[in-house]
Amino acid sequence: MNDCPNAEIRDQLPDLLHDRLDVSMRAAVMAHVDACVDCRAELDLLRSVHGMLMARTPRVDINYVVNALPKPMAATRAQPARLAPRRRVWSDWRIAAAVTVLAVGGGSFALLRQGVNPPTADTMLAQTSPIGSAATPSRDSVTVPTPSRVADASSAPSGSTSVARGATTSADEQAGLATTARLADLNERQLQALLDQIDQLQAVPITEPEPVTLRVNNKSTSPEGA
Amino acid sequence: MSNPVRGDDQRDLDLIARWKAGDERAATELVERHSAALARFAVSSGERSDVDELVQDTFVRAFNSLDGFRGESSFRTWLFTIERRLLLDRRRSEKRRRDRTEIQESDSATEYDALDSVVADETQRRLEDAVGRLSPTQREVFALRVAEGLSYKEIAEAVGTTEGAARVHYHNAMRAVKEFLDE
Repeated sequence: MNDCPNAEIRDQLPDLLHDRLDVSMRAAVMAHVDACVDCRAELDLLRSVHGMLMARTPRVDINYVVNALPKPMAATRAQPARLAPRRRVWSDWRIAAAVTVLAVGGGSFALLRQGVNPPTADTMLAQTSPIGSAATPSRDSVTVPTPSRVADASSAPSGSTSVARGATTSADEQAGLATTARLADLNERQLQALLDQIDQLQAVPITEPEPVTLRVNNKSTSPEGA
Repeated sequence: MSNPVRGDDQRDLDLIARWKAGDERAATELVERHSAALARFAVSSGERSDVDELVQDTFVRAFNSLDGFRGESSFRTWLFTIERRLLLDRRRSEKRRRDRTEIQESDSATEYDALDSVVADETQRRLEDAVGRLSPTQREVFALRVAEGLSYKEIAEAVGTTEGAARVHYHNAMRAVKEFLDE
C-alpha cells in the first residue's frame, strides 16, 4: 500500500470519514479520491480501522457513572441554610462575656469603695492594745500595721487610746509597735525598732496592703508580765 | 475545513448550563453522549480493566471542576484530557505496585490478542495487531484521529503535545499500519 504524494489531501481523509469538511473542501477531496487509487485504499483502511475500534468499544453502565456525579450547585444552594445553632452559640458567648465584665467591674468598684475610708493607724493600734480590750486577736500574736499605714499614722493626731506605759522591755522594744498603742507615745528606741522592722519587710504592697502578723513574746504583750 | 461538530459542542454547553441550573437529567445526557468515546479511548490507550471506573472517575472529576471549563475546546476534548491524566496516574500507581505489565511495542500484539474475543475476521484481527504495535503515543493520536475524528489541534490539547507533533504521530502511525498489513 503506497502513500499518495498529496499530503494535504491525505490529511483530510479522516475528516472526510467523519464528515467534518465544508462543502467545497469535501468536493475537492472527493474528486481527488475518485482519481487516486492510493487515497481510495487509505480511505478504505481508515474505514476498517474505525469499524474495528468502534467494535472494541466496551459497554459503559450509564447509571453507574451518573450515580457517582456530584449534585448541581444550584440544587445544593437551594437547601435551607441552618444558621440557627450558630447564632445560639454566638448568643451564649455574649452572655458569658457580659457576666465576666459585670463581675470584674463590680469587684473593682467594691475595692474602690473599700479604699475610701481606710482604717487609721490609731484605730488599728487601739485594736492591738491589750489593755481594756477583750477582743485581742490572739494571745500569741498582735497585729501591726504595714509601713504605709504606719507612715500615715505617724503624722496623724493622737487619740485617747490607753497605752501600757512603762511596760516596755527590751523585748518590747524589739517588738516595736507591738506593745505600744500610739506612735506619739513611743520613745526614740522604740521608733527606731519600728523602723528596723519596716526595713526588714520583703516588699511594699502597691495598693491596699493586707495587715502583717508578727509573732511576739506572749509576756511582752501582757501588762501583767511587765 | 468546516466544523459540523460545533453543533454538538453547543449542545454540550447547553447541557452544562442546564446542569448548573440544577437539572440533573442534563448530566445523564452528557454521560450518554461521551461515555462510549471515553471508553474507546481508554481501550485504545491500552487500558484493559476497570474501564467503567475510569470513565466514572473522568466524569466525576469533570463535573467537580466544571467552573474551570471555559468552552475554549470542545467538552469531549476536555474529557479526553482529564481521562488521559487519570490513565497516567493509574499507570504510575500500578507501576509502583508492579501489578501491571506495560504494553510494550514488542508484546503489544499479544496484549491485543488476549483482549480480542469479538473480532473473528482475519482482516480485522490483523488490523488490531497493526494498531497494537504502535507506540502508546501513536496509538492515542491514531485512535483520536480515526475513531473520534478530532482535529490535530484537539488531539494536541488532549494528549499534551503540539499540533505539528500530533500530525507527525498520525502519519507515522498510518505508515506503520500499512507496512504491517503489507507484510
